[in-house]
Amino acid sequence: MLHCSKILSKTLKPKPKSKKLKSKSKPKTLKSTNPKDPFEEDDEAFTLKPSESSTTNHVVQPLGNLYLTSNGHNSRDSGLGDLKILTDELVLEILGFLDGNHLGILGTVSRSLYVFCCHEPIWRNLVLEKFGGGFVFNGSWRGTYVEICYPEFDVSRAKGDGVVVRDFYSDYLFQSWLCAGIEMREEWICRDNVARRRGISVEEFTREFEEKNRPVLLEGCMDDWDAMRRWDRRYLVETCGDVRFAVGPVEMRLEDYFVYADNVREERPLYLFDPNFVKKVPILGAQYDVPVYFREDLFSVLGDERPDYRWIIIGPAGSGSSFHIDPNSTAAWNAVIKGSKKWVLFPPDVVPPGVHPSPDGAEVACPVSIIEWFMNFYAETKNWKKKPTECVCKAGEVIFVPNGWWHLVINLEESLAITQNYVCRRNLLNVLDFLKKPNASDLVSGTSDRVNLHDKFKKAIEVLCPGTIDQLLRKEEEKTANAKKLPFWEAATDSNAGAFKFSF
Amino acid sequence: MSTTEEIKATEENKTMTEDNKMTNEENKEDKNKTVTLESSDGATFVVDVAAATLSQAIKHWLDEENDTDMAIPFPNVTSTILAMVIEYCKKHAGPEPEDALKEWDAKFANVDQTVMFDLILAANYMDIKGLLDLFCQSVADMIKDKTVEEVRKIFNIENDFTEEEERALRDEHKWAFE
Repeated sequence: MLHCSKILSKTLKPKPKSKKLKSKSKPKTLKSTNPKDPFEEDDEAFTLKPSESSTTNHVVQPLGNLYLTSNGHNSRDSGLGDLKILTDELVLEILGFLDGNHLGILGTVSRSLYVFCCHEPIWRNLVLEKFGGGFVFNGSWRGTYVEICYPEFDVSRAKGDGVVVRDFYSDYLFQSWLCAGIEMREEWICRDNVARRRGISVEEFTREFEEKNRPVLLEGCMDDWDAMRRWDRRYLVETCGDVRFAVGPVEMRLEDYFVYADNVREERPLYLFDPNFVKKVPILGAQYDVPVYFREDLFSVLGDERPDYRWIIIGPAGSGSSFHIDPNSTAAWNAVIKGSKKWVLFPPDVVPPGVHPSPDGAEVACPVSIIEWFMNFYAETKNWKKKPTECVCKAGEVIFVPNGWWHLVINLEESLAITQNYVCRRNLLNVLDFLKKPNASDLVSGTSDRVNLHDKFKKAIEVLCPGTIDQLLRKEEEKTANAKKLPFWEAATDSNAGAFKFSF
Repeated sequence: MSTTEEIKATEENKTMTEDNKMTNEENKEDKNKTVTLESSDGATFVVDVAAATLSQAIKHWLDEENDTDMAIPFPNVTSTILAMVIEYCKKHAGPEPEDALKEWDAKFANVDQTVMFDLILAANYMDIKGLLDLFCQSVADMIKDKTVEEVRKIFNIENDFTEEEERALRDEHKWAFE
């Protein structure tokens, strides 16, 4: 069953207990069961990330492989006993209520429970719940937990060499294991159809992109940034290695985060995404400039009461954000300082495949991880009339994300970026409408005073630029009077059935 | 009729129509107040919407489907289990305070292993977080602080390790046994 998840904030969910939709792909089979050999290369196979040492020595196989064996024996079932009627997710749900030492003991009960108790996400939850961001990642979450709780125990003994389990078949655990190790395929990265511009005037940007609500990739806006010259690992660790930054549900020392990022291999890596980085490290704020196109930022009239609007983003390959629309109906720009990001964007009226917004827009269920989305849904978009806008944004490039656009981002390598959300004059009415909505307190994010934000904002605008709102309202009325209605079929044909209209 | 009489008549008509309107809406609301659930073995249960919508699955069904006359089928859930699920929902939709509910939950959770697992499956299928958590916690409680042998006995799990493997594993997990 689907669980909806709130996504209108940029942090990851703390407990990745989301239910997964049944995958649309056919049952997967592996060609080789030897964990040391790479899987045979063919169209259907996936390339796994290289790893010096796996966290465990067992191989989880997809259920399809069970039918290829002669004895049809699945150690999953025999090792679960009465629990075997439960799904894998439910077994993991139960294990989620156990403490570390209970799991340690349980892992010696049977081969099946050994495999279950090695499931890294369970240990990740334990570490984050018990220690917040106060941990030094040692290559596996289980190992990290043991090291912190039992410092006298030589954690290299917990490597998992003791038992090799080969006859464990489970689609859920296989999918999870596969997604943790998989690399982005060339065909998911190569499509690049975004508009690119260099050195255009603010007027041209406003006319061609902001007003038309079209994304664009801008080159050359970061050439003067100190950040481009200075920001690298060494500089950041020297400057603020000890400072705690927001990482998913916790806060971590930057230096500790880098240790984690260097050693992790998981489906949804923790992502450093901090809205207070300038308050925490003022010098960082002085080392970059808002590109000239985005300088009109009307939320600034609220001063300190404005919602979160600027983030520093750091993450390893595979980290990113699954499909969402930016909060408060704002527009955004994202500047890559180091590394590279793959972007997939859909216009406001086209819901991406695999995404399920609730009618009021407060919740968006995207049950799959980013990599799973590429594996199971990306190919669908090839056949759509309204194809997504895609690109790879490299160091030195800035992407403009117009208001209301769905977007997904994945880091192709370790990346460092700055992103800001803003309200410009042309978007002012949309934002006011959005803030006025009856469920504004659910939808509005990044501020502690959700309910009054609309009134405060409106008042502040009226004071600073009197008459603007009325002027815009008049313009809008003229526009609607003149606008041509889209022919029915054009509006209906290319979105998938039940496309959700995110209206303001 | 004089103008005043005409106006009065029109106003009366207006009130009457409004009254009718209100009754119709009340009827609609009454209809909406309950929903029928059907178990795998054909038993039907009429449940207040307030209780039924503890199940997110039912809530979404009602949000999207307008026809609340139709029974919602649960082909995965037997009548015994569905009855218990409904009992839970009714209790938790009621006005009782947290502590009383917790006490009730503890008694409610005191069931056979098989029933426990069936309830977990049903709570998962119907998406009732509180119920799911309650019974997952119960199973977890059965596991906590038990020895390996005791766990195997409780859940009828076969020990499929060789002696050598088991020794290696105990060593690997030594930290947990201290």
